[in-house]
Amino acid sequence: MVFGALDWSIVTGYLIVSVAIGLIGRKYAGDVTQYLVAGRELGTYIGIATLAATEIGTITFMYNAELGYRYGFAAFSAALISGVVMIFVGRSGFIIRRLRELRLMTVPEFFERRYSRGLRLLTGVLVALGGILNMGVFLKVEGEFLTVASGLNQRYLVAAMTAVLLLELLYTTVGGMVSVVITDYIQYVLLSVASIIVTIYAVHHAGWGHIVAKVTTVMGSGGFNPLHTPKFGATFLIWQCLLWLAVHTCWQTTAMRMFATKDADVSQRVMTWTGFIFLGRGMLPMLWGIAALTLYGTGTLIGGVPSPVLHGHTMAPIDAMPAMLSQILGPGIRGVVVAGMLAATMSVNSSYLLGWSAVISQDVIAPAREFMGKQPLGSKGQVLLNRVTNLFVSLFLLFWGLYYTPPGAVYLYLNVTGTIFLAGAFTSVVGGLYWKRANLTGGYLAMVMGAVGVIVPFFFLHWSENITGFIAFSLAAIGLIAGSYLGPAGKPLQQAVPELGGEQRI
Amino acid sequence: MTYWKIFWEIALVVAGTSFAVITAIVAVRGYIDLHAMITQLAQRSKKR
Repeated sequence: MVFGALDWSIVTGYLIVSVAIGLIGRKYAGDVTQYLVAGRELGTYIGIATLAATEIGTITFMYNAELGYRYGFAAFSAALISGVVMIFVGRSGFIIRRLRELRLMTVPEFFERRYSRGLRLLTGVLVALGGILNMGVFLKVEGEFLTVASGLNQRYLVAAMTAVLLLELLYTTVGGMVSVVITDYIQYVLLSVASIIVTIYAVHHAGWGHIVAKVTTVMGSGGFNPLHTPKFGATFLIWQCLLWLAVHTCWQTTAMRMFATKDADVSQRVMTWTGFIFLGRGMLPMLWGIAALTLYGTGTLIGGVPSPVLHGHTMAPIDAMPAMLSQILGPGIRGVVVAGMLAATMSVNSSYLLGWSAVISQDVIAPAREFMGKQPLGSKGQVLLNRVTNLFVSLFLLFWGLYYTPPGAVYLYLNVTGTIFLAGAFTSVVGGLYWKRANLTGGYLAMVMGAVGVIVPFFFLHWSENITGFIAFSLAAIGLIAGSYLGPAGKPLQQAVPELGGEQRI
Repeated sequence: MTYWKIFWEIALVVAGTSFAVITAIVAVRGYIDLHAMITQLAQRSKKR
């Protein structure tokens, strides 16, 4: 497929409008509370839009479609768990309510309030490391989507993704969370429209009966029953429950939206309704992947699944979905869908840039400065520090992200890298909020054992992702409990500090 | 396998419908929220 003039006009128009609107946020990013959590002024509906847009990117569509292609309908189990767990967190207020009441700006900030500044620093380092490694694969995967779906020559991949990253960086650095929220609203609407269009086209072209028949023929009962899928099984489902519980409560970009809501009630409503969106966020692209398997899965078997073949050219499973879009969408619709995917890309990347930069500046650099005996930064100094960190994170992503290729299914790689810090952070947050006995020794052990529980089994022993994830969460819990009983009693949780009109210091 | 197939079909219909309906509601009411947020932030900027 060749992208026509109409398609290019739609995409270019979207980019110009999006960045121009994003720059409006500059006027309202005066102090650090406005810059990082939009002055805590998010209402329910805009909260849903920004949370959904933040966690739905082209990368999400790609890895979910790949999961659908490789594991059929059984992959839906991961989407179902993510949505149901989110609805549970929203309805119960588990963790998020108490964190919102503490008026935090980052997740590691909780560790100083409950444990110590040193643990905040360690958590900040692990969160930033895991988060940036996680985000590191985004650009390459997103670039692959854009080149395959639009027919753009591969040699322009680096230039195209650099341009997209620079545009995101421009409005994120200048306007912070306010710009991100404004653009997220537009991007959410556009990416949702694109998702619905693609779903209709995919099912129409592949045919529901053919889709079911293909999965049955290729995968048998394992294509429907997650307990019969070799890669999944009971341990995978348990790990997914724990992981999504941790993601929805302690993942920096999600937590920042909760911190930015008007109050704890709004945060719960936002989480609950976004949970329903999360069902579609996973299942719809998984369905696109299964449709691509139905249409193009005719190549040699790899892992029991035929490779996608288009015009005699064999592709990787992750490229099957964008290749399908390049074939089934008509002129104009292609432009709308690619603009929608670009919107998804930009909403995720800008939020992630802000989220990880906030952790580096607020939880690594600022506490490190105080350890060195320097004066705390004022609000304007913090905003400047965040902007500089944004720039450096972007540069790292640009040079590392475009050249690194993740092994295996991208979804599982992202889950594993996230677990490096989520296992310890989630366990320590639960202990810190709900267990008086939890102490600093337990917090340190949970963070270290959670990280080691991922790194050693996965990278050195080459155990499967689900066993690795299961072990990491178990070790983190053991670390917290053992450390808390062995060490001295913990300090009580320091309650919220009032925000002094931009004069709050860290 | 048949039960799983029916289960996933129902789940897919619920997911797709929720996605479309919530998007429509958020598209309209999100704009109102966004406007209110910007108004509040503008007032704060003026106070400073």
